[in-house]
Amino acid sequence: MDDDALRLDVDEHDTPAEVDAAFRTLRRVAVWHFVLFLAAVLGVPALSLTLGWWSGARIDGGMSPGFAMAAFGLYVFFLAVGLAAATLSSAVEARMLGGAHEEAGDDDGEDAP
Amino acid sequence: MTPAGTTALVVLVTTLVLVAWLVRPRGASTVDFYLAGRRVGVATNALAICGDYFSAASFLGVAAAVYVSGLDGVWYAVGFAAGFVPVLLFVAAPLRRFGEFSIPDFLGRRLGSERVRLVSVGVVQVVILSYLIPQAVGSGITWQLLVGRGLPGLDPYGTGVLLSTTFVAALVAFGGMRGTTWTQAVQFLVLLSALVWLALAVVGSGFRYTEAVSDLSATPLANPVPGADGWELRVETDQIDPGAAAAFGEPGAAYGPLAQFALILTLVMGTAGLPHVMNRYFTSPTGTAARMTTVWVLGLAGLFYALAVMLGTAARQKIAEAAGEHAWLQGLTTDGVLRVPEHALPVLGRLYGGDVGLAVIAAGALVAVMSTIAGLLLAAAASWGHDVYERHINPRATQRQAVWAGRASTAVVALTAAGMAVVLQPDHLAPSVPSIVAAMVTWAFAIAGSALTPVFVLTIWWRGTTAAGAVAGMLTGGVTSIGMFVLGLLPVGPGLGEMLMTPTLVAAPLAAVVCVLVSRVTRPPSDVESQWLVLHGTAADRQAERLARLTISSLGKGRHGRRKGD
Repeated sequence: MDDDALRLDVDEHDTPAEVDAAFRTLRRVAVWHFVLFLAAVLGVPALSLTLGWWSGARIDGGMSPGFAMAAFGLYVFFLAVGLAAATLSSAVEARMLGGAHEEAGDDDGEDAP
Repeated sequence: MTPAGTTALVVLVTTLVLVAWLVRPRGASTVDFYLAGRRVGVATNALAICGDYFSAASFLGVAAAVYVSGLDGVWYAVGFAAGFVPVLLFVAAPLRRFGEFSIPDFLGRRLGSERVRLVSVGVVQVVILSYLIPQAVGSGITWQLLVGRGLPGLDPYGTGVLLSTTFVAALVAFGGMRGTTWTQAVQFLVLLSALVWLALAVVGSGFRYTEAVSDLSATPLANPVPGADGWELRVETDQIDPGAAAAFGEPGAAYGPLAQFALILTLVMGTAGLPHVMNRYFTSPTGTAARMTTVWVLGLAGLFYALAVMLGTAARQKIAEAAGEHAWLQGLTTDGVLRVPEHALPVLGRLYGGDVGLAVIAAGALVAVMSTIAGLLLAAAASWGHDVYERHINPRATQRQAVWAGRASTAVVALTAAGMAVVLQPDHLAPSVPSIVAAMVTWAFAIAGSALTPVFVLTIWWRGTTAAGAVAGMLTGGVTSIGMFVLGLLPVGPGLGEMLMTPTLVAAPLAAVVCVLVSRVTRPPSDVESQWLVLHGTAADRQAERLARLTISSLGKGRHGRRKGD
């Protein structure tokens, strides 16, 4: 069997304790980002309903802050929240899951003739 | 039909048939037919999800809603775009890691219950039909504008509905998920190009966005309504301050205070329960790829909806200015305002590009409709073919028989939706909503967000979810949302009526509470811990990534070896 086949045979697995710890961390990441997201997505219409200047003030000759946020500001925010959450979640998984097995696999690979 | 319209239709149909033929499935396996072999890359899948998701409601409906209701129409764009944030946070990666064929398949196996599978098939089919009908309506409206003629015995609207659904059903049955993925990716690029072209043309003509919003907000917002002596303009009442007139740049033209939040939450919650969008996540190679795909989708959705909102605003201003100069606009407008808001983008296209411009936008609209119909038919095929036929009708079915069952179900679902769209002509439905197409899609979002999303999220993130809890949650969400629609159709008064038509604000929490309460008194599946390892572990992802690296490495070695041999 060649090196590559040996590498493919590495038994990838996660222990229940590792997965549980990662799951709890990921849940925290998801919930906090969701709270932030919800505050923005409901906050913009809430401000439109409650603050006169949010709909009445004019930016750059005409558009109100409320309209500007709904027309493009929120989409930038959604992308930023999504990118931050995805990056953080992937980093959490990389750090908390499979690290020891991966290293063991790599070591095996290096030691293989 | 104009020569430009004919050319656009021929180019469109030829391109789609060619792409579907080039990437047709090579085998008869169900994993290939329904999931494209689970090897769709991040960028391709993101484009295909956008093709799937940006339907007639997004292309024609968002601009139409902004055109007719100003800021209240913009909430459609916000809600449609925002829906992918909960998908990314709670659903995408675990769903892919569990690795099934469809939402019913996922729920059925995760909760170890065929009852859950069958109930969710029922809910999924209701969502699919609710979503398919407005797409078919959109195709009829576009055909009316682009071609203007019908087949013998059918009006132009009915012809558009019938031809587009039949064509897409044939493409899906032939191409499966692999063909559909690539045609949807191409369709989205066509759609985005049409929108970008129109935006550049409008801005290039001197349109100033911020000033347009300000100018349009300076006078009361008025829209045409049919009166005793023909069409007349009626000033929209502010739903927040009923004594005042509504303004374009301020909330209140279509929705009262509570209804604004109800609409946004309905759209936000609904995306995670849309079967055709969620099924695409099963085609990603890994959970991490599914998550990154969603980030791409968020970026593309932001660009798409920002352009759609701008063009809805531009249409309101530019069509009014041009109405007196073009005879063809007289029949479509009343005092410079379009009678059918969905005509906003096609009319804008004709103003800036003549017949070619109209053809480009109409082709974009047809593309939007067809790519979404394709995704919905494939989702219907997966749940009928895999969850019902393979599991219950013919458990010993060969792969070939299972694939043919999926193909047959696409035909049946397509014909049902087309028939219902022909019966539900938009002229009979349009009086009180900003855009009939966007509103009908919102109903699908409401059922998905009320019946499926709460159960879906609980199943992924709470070990204690049980089969009985899931069934109770789905039924509660489904019955409550449909019941609220029916109440909303009755004359219950402005404000409350709109809120009842977007029922997720009430139905989703109720479904979640019922699911939790019933789960508390019943027993979760015995193998929940091993399922947790698959849902939230990354072992399979790492194995897939290792396999991919090995494949790339062996391909490199092969090339290197061949060069040495040469």
